[in-house]
Amino acid sequence: MININSLSKEYVMGDNKLLALNNIDLSIKEGDFVSIMGSSGSGKSTLMNIIGCLDVPSSGDYFFRDNNVSTLNSNNLAELRNKDIGFVFQNFNLLPRLNAVENVVLPLLYSGKDSKERNKLALKALESVGLKDRLYHRPNQLSGGQQQRVSIARAIAGSPKLILADEPTGALDSKTGLEIMKILNDLNEKGITIVLVTHEDEIAKYGSRIIKMKDGKILEDKKNVNN
Amino acid sequence: MSITDLIYLSQKSLRSNILRSILTSLGIIIGVSSVITMISIGSGARIEVEQQIERFGSNNLIVRSQSSSNRGVSMGTNSVNTLTLKDMEALKEELPAIKAIAPRVSLSTQIVANGNNWLATVTGTTNDYFDLGNWKFENGRSFEDEEINSGSRVAIIGKTVQKNLFDTDNPIDEVIRINKVPFTVIGLLDAKGGTAWADLDDTVIVPLKTAKQRLVAKKFPGDQIRSMTINVRSSELLFKTEKDVDTVMRKLHKISANGNPDFVIRNYAQFLNARQESSRVMSILLATVAGISLIVGGIGIMNIMLVTVTERTKEIGVCMSVGAKKRDILLQFLIESLMISLIGGLIGIALGLGVIFGVSEYFKWKMSLDYISIVLSFVFSSSIGIIFGFYPARKAANLNPIDALRYE
Repeated sequence: MININSLSKEYVMGDNKLLALNNIDLSIKEGDFVSIMGSSGSGKSTLMNIIGCLDVPSSGDYFFRDNNVSTLNSNNLAELRNKDIGFVFQNFNLLPRLNAVENVVLPLLYSGKDSKERNKLALKALESVGLKDRLYHRPNQLSGGQQQRVSIARAIAGSPKLILADEPTGALDSKTGLEIMKILNDLNEKGITIVLVTHEDEIAKYGSRIIKMKDGKILEDKKNVNN
Repeated sequence: MSITDLIYLSQKSLRSNILRSILTSLGIIIGVSSVITMISIGSGARIEVEQQIERFGSNNLIVRSQSSSNRGVSMGTNSVNTLTLKDMEALKEELPAIKAIAPRVSLSTQIVANGNNWLATVTGTTNDYFDLGNWKFENGRSFEDEEINSGSRVAIIGKTVQKNLFDTDNPIDEVIRINKVPFTVIGLLDAKGGTAWADLDDTVIVPLKTAKQRLVAKKFPGDQIRSMTINVRSSELLFKTEKDVDTVMRKLHKISANGNPDFVIRNYAQFLNARQESSRVMSILLATVAGISLIVGGIGIMNIMLVTVTERTKEIGVCMSVGAKKRDILLQFLIESLMISLIGGLIGIALGLGVIFGVSEYFKWKMSLDYISIVLSFVFSSSIGIIFGFYPARKAANLNPIDALRYE
């Protein structure tokens, strides 16, 4: 599903060049649950953004389901994010003025689905994360865990192939965090590929594969035998 | 993303900042209401002028007798008739710019017919009077040459006279008694309606010669007349002719250039011009206000939209991460600024209508509401919204998704 060949990402900050990713090779198969670990500045978030088609590499190739992402323009990238990728962020990133259903409907709006189908899909997604009775609450009326569920519902509403979770439990207490991880695990068991960025071992061990990064390079990449 | 979805999202964010949205549209509100008021003042003045021309005829000068003050003692308006038919002939001869002149003698007297009594103004004149005064016949005809030359007792009456003597019956061929003299009605004039100072339809018109012989022989002896209506060939010649008439009349009446004339020339165009001029000044003033406030309003919208884009940078990043294209973001912000300006436009239209109503009630100015002005206001305010909303919207659309997401 994901094939990355000698990929580098360079940031220019004034006179300094920062090599966030240094010649990375990585491939992720459909149905994988990959945890990427590393301290801040290790390049894990940059890698994640590139995988999520939010950012483009400076050099090297990135193939996502046979698309050479490096050659796509911003519209094609937006379409990929819309149809094939779902994001779950540390800070949930819900739109404050919209209620739960409207937040979940948002990606479906951009994919041009009609309103009947949109609402059906959004309700289904919210139901599957256990928020059936919180449909019309706005983010500030929901707890952190509930907000994260809404954002997971938003990520899965358009039935993507890949879910990218950037520190999804980072802003939650450990109990709620585990609930969220269980949801992600269930999604993985239904066949959705999951790439998780975290710095907590507890969370990382949900992955079937754990990648450790440092200074823009992959330090270690091994199967998680416990899982 | 459909337009209704965009509008839905836009109104959500506008409503979350409702006071700001309305304050932002203030410039548009003032601009649009000025545009509407301006246009209706302008077209109201135009319509009023057209109506006046319709009523009184265009390119006319009226010369009237006026008692010259005699050793400081005014002789009263009606006491002396200084104009004569000779003056009329001389003017016609001297001034080729004059197309026609209708002389007039008049008296206010009792009319009796059908057992009804009515006090009306009786005018003695020629057929030119009808053309010059823009009179049309509802029924019957004007005078025939034979009737004019022989002094026949024939009369043409206005609508008010008809109503009071014959009600709605056809007055043609009926006999009316003017000052006890029987006249046969040969024509009925179309209604003109009243002005603020006179009912134009309260009139009876008879041939000049008949009037002089049978009705006003004492009041207008010889070839004296009360006034004459001079029709000038074109409106460009009107003001020049007015001066020429003055010169010729002074010569005829042997009055020096700075002496006190025994006649007065009324140029109705003067009044119309003044009316048009004052509404033009008003319109220019309002146009300036409208122009400035629309531009200021537009800049206000741009300013607020830039603030909004900055405030919502992270949100834009979120939308992009779930698949919003540049076009989607651009459209959303454009529609937001469009909505601000259109709301401003709507409030402006309401305010403008209020002003129009107030002004026309209070100042008794004729204001005409043009539908064009409402369409124009919508065009104005929406183009302001689009023009000034474009830069902020493009700024939002061109954000890099990663930078936008990371923005705190």
